[in-house]
Amino acid sequence: VLSLFCLGAGAGQDVGRSCILVSIAGKNVMLDCGMHMGYNDDRRFPDFSYITQNGRLTDFLDCVIISHFHLDHCGALPYFSEMVGYDGPIYMTHPTKAICPILLEDYRKITVDKKGETNFFTSQMIKDCMKKVVAVHLHQTVQVDEELEIKAYYAGHVLGAAMFQIKVGYESVVYTGDYNMTPDRHLGAAWIDKCRPDLLISESTYATTIRDSKRCRERDFLKKVHETVERGGKVLIPVFALGRAQELCILLETFWERMNLKAPIYFSTGLTEKANHYYKLFITWTNQKIRKTFVQRNMFEFKHIKAFDRAFADNPGPMVVFATPGMLHAGQSLQIFRKWAGNEKNMVIMPGYCVQGTVGHKILSGQRKLEMEGRQILEVKMQVEYMSFSAHADAKGIMQLIRQAEPRNVLLVHGEAKKMEFLKQKIEQEFHVNCYMPANGETTTIFTNPSIPVDISLGLLKRETAIGLLPDAKKPKLMHGTLIMKDNSFRLVSPEQALKELGLAEHQLRFTCRVHIQDPRKEHETVLRVYNHLKGVLKDYSVQHLPDGSITVESILIQATAHSEDQGTKVLLVSWTYQDEELGSYLTSLLKKGLPPSTS
Amino acid sequence: YQDLHTFELQAPTRLIEWARGNRVCVAGYGQSGGNEILQLLPPPTLQVKETQGLCPERDFKVECGGFSNRPVYSLKYVPDTSLLVTSGPPDSSLQVWQVSAEDSDVIKPVSAISTENGTGQPWAKIATISTRAPWVLHGSRLNNVQITEVESRKNVYMAASRNNEELSSLAFLDDNTLLLCCAKGQLCLADLRQPQGPLEAASVPSAPCGERWCMGVGRGPQGSDSSCQPVVCLSSGGHLTLTDVRKASEALALAKCRVPPPSSGAEFLCVSWAPALDGCLAVSGFDGTVQVYDTQGWDSSGREAEPIFIHKGHAFGGGDSSRDPALVTVHTWHPQKPRTLLSAASDGSLHVWDWVQPCGKC
Repeated sequence: VLSLFCLGAGAGQDVGRSCILVSIAGKNVMLDCGMHMGYNDDRRFPDFSYITQNGRLTDFLDCVIISHFHLDHCGALPYFSEMVGYDGPIYMTHPTKAICPILLEDYRKITVDKKGETNFFTSQMIKDCMKKVVAVHLHQTVQVDEELEIKAYYAGHVLGAAMFQIKVGYESVVYTGDYNMTPDRHLGAAWIDKCRPDLLISESTYATTIRDSKRCRERDFLKKVHETVERGGKVLIPVFALGRAQELCILLETFWERMNLKAPIYFSTGLTEKANHYYKLFITWTNQKIRKTFVQRNMFEFKHIKAFDRAFADNPGPMVVFATPGMLHAGQSLQIFRKWAGNEKNMVIMPGYCVQGTVGHKILSGQRKLEMEGRQILEVKMQVEYMSFSAHADAKGIMQLIRQAEPRNVLLVHGEAKKMEFLKQKIEQEFHVNCYMPANGETTTIFTNPSIPVDISLGLLKRETAIGLLPDAKKPKLMHGTLIMKDNSFRLVSPEQALKELGLAEHQLRFTCRVHIQDPRKEHETVLRVYNHLKGVLKDYSVQHLPDGSITVESILIQATAHSEDQGTKVLLVSWTYQDEELGSYLTSLLKKGLPPSTS
Repeated sequence: YQDLHTFELQAPTRLIEWARGNRVCVAGYGQSGGNEILQLLPPPTLQVKETQGLCPERDFKVECGGFSNRPVYSLKYVPDTSLLVTSGPPDSSLQVWQVSAEDSDVIKPVSAISTENGTGQPWAKIATISTRAPWVLHGSRLNNVQITEVESRKNVYMAASRNNEELSSLAFLDDNTLLLCCAKGQLCLADLRQPQGPLEAASVPSAPCGERWCMGVGRGPQGSDSSCQPVVCLSSGGHLTLTDVRKASEALALAKCRVPPPSSGAEFLCVSWAPALDGCLAVSGFDGTVQVYDTQGWDSSGREAEPIFIHKGHAFGGGDSSRDPALVTVHTWHPQKPRTLLSAASDGSLHVWDWVQPCGKC
């Protein structure tokens, strides 16, 4: 039995928090520990009191798995491990372990320093939390304990994102986190083998979407950039250090080369080195093309993209600048924004979701007059655009993944109480599996049918195939044997072998049945009648009349006695061993039908 | 182009139907079952008047869907109801479905409308109207054209014709007049007020026989008499005729559009009038393109006309050049945005495009 509880799941396109509890064969695993970025209060963290009311989380949970570094999947981790209290292992991939703390610290800074919140985790807590992390490689089986093992698979989506297989004995669950089934410029597509898990947990935020092709998005993005640059304006693209920035850089570089454009493109200082460093470190995580070309030249060494210097922001003329941080909430990108906001020739393109309270969020909501520190009002005349390049799986992608993994059950996490009856039916019809769609706070129970492999002794196999018809690969074959469970292994052997191995003596079971026959004559005459009758009917069997007055049919013994109270009735005692059950019952019913009238 | 968006459906469609609230419906036509009927909510870019370049919501959303064992060749919504009707091989029967987007996102099959001697007949062409009651006009040949009330499945009209000419499309010209287009090119009118009256042959094709024809009927502005709208007929050889079915049986104009040799059959021929641009029509089905023509200035000479725009997007589909090039299966105009069209092709692609008028008045 698998049991699943959704503490939180992505709701809507970019906002939400993921946190799922799975109970598999007695082991409890937490999948992701995300924060909801739309809330400013306790609602942003999952309610961990659901897990256990009184009892330490460390005792209850066997491990925590984080799929990737996006805050809606790891944002609540320091809160969970340091403020609520968990000391067990936390698993994630190497890139995730490297990048998570950076994002968490960045977010902590905005929340505490900028917004002045108090009940939030500290920098030290982030550090302490990361000490509990065990980094894993792709396709590496990690033994969490004697019975629980996990394995990470490539998920695409962002650098380091992984799908995890969780296995206990013969039961397994695969959790996808966020994934993408189509490769993009710097990351490959998700992939999993035919691991046939009992349950596949997939995100389904984009399941009912038919996405505009990447080519169109890119074309529109390039068009906007080009138009702005052509008219002498400046384009600001606030980015987080890793992720879409690389994608957009490669895109712009290719475009600039093809169109022979001269306007400079800058990348924030520090950003390039850091990005380069991580990509070199985790080169195996990028897509094929990048890996191949990285050997010849560093893909992230761009011809047209140069390091940015603060002074350049004042240079006249067109330019494109990638600057951190991504939500315009502080630092260099905000500085540049303030300088350029007043000119309508300029443009700012937000490439992702912005947290409430940040400048990015405000301008995307349409605000054009912003209050800066010192009560200064900034009028925003520059064009504000939003372009989402996030990579998620749509319905087609989900179907592809299910086809690859061949799960027995599918569970879609979507958070909103959206009606996705159609997708559920589609999956059920195409793959003949159960499809579950729980809402937040719901527990789903799935009954599994684990296949347990058993070794069968050669002798038994030969014997069984010798009897009866040829085996049919499509039909299950019924076999008789003895199952020996010893030392974690299961063996099927013949009963004799089992008795010998275990040093047991065989017991014999004998059945005796009484059949009443109406016959007033003497016993030995009744016996003769029975003998003649049986000899006539059972032509293929050995029927013998023994000198002591009993009849044998094969190894079945029949004797006749007179009824104690009624001389006219004879009692036939039919006796057989357990092995002769079939014949014994047949004989009994035959005799119960009565004897043919005697001819003599 | 003013704008171009490309999407990929899981399965190709040969119909794009508009529904309330600018929703569109597509459906699969695979022969081996498992076809999906999808009602899609278009991205906001298609909803607003001003086209926005970079918009957060650029995707179609599947609002609801249904499963059909048959290939779906034709689909029509029944106005003022939550029903839709589909048809497709292997016979001329119709399937009625219920769309109830509030409680569930599944389009459920409700009933089937079968026709006498329907087996073995070509698939039914359909049109719907709800002025007097929800009606569906359907038929595959001239002699089985009928109108059935959708909910009660009662027959309310039967065309009086013994001619078993195959039909390629049919339409309501107004509440009382039906226009039927035969595959061989003849147009026939029927008046519902004279149920036993014979079908009036409205025109005879002017092009060589052996070609298959289809028609496009214009929708006049609300309240106007649509009898003043010409009917355009397109043949598999690329001939276009404009006819005013009421006034004369002589063609108003003739032209020829560019057709790649050899003509690839008439399976997906499609011609339609632009609802918001006078005299503009679009043609597709010969190859991977959709051609837009300005018919103002056409005469009866029948010479080759120059399209004012050609959408070639479907021909440059997925990177796989070893596969058969995609064939455009259907196109439709946006009801409000004058130069926006939607087109679908046999490779599953769905394009939404807004073309720029090169020069001139259209």
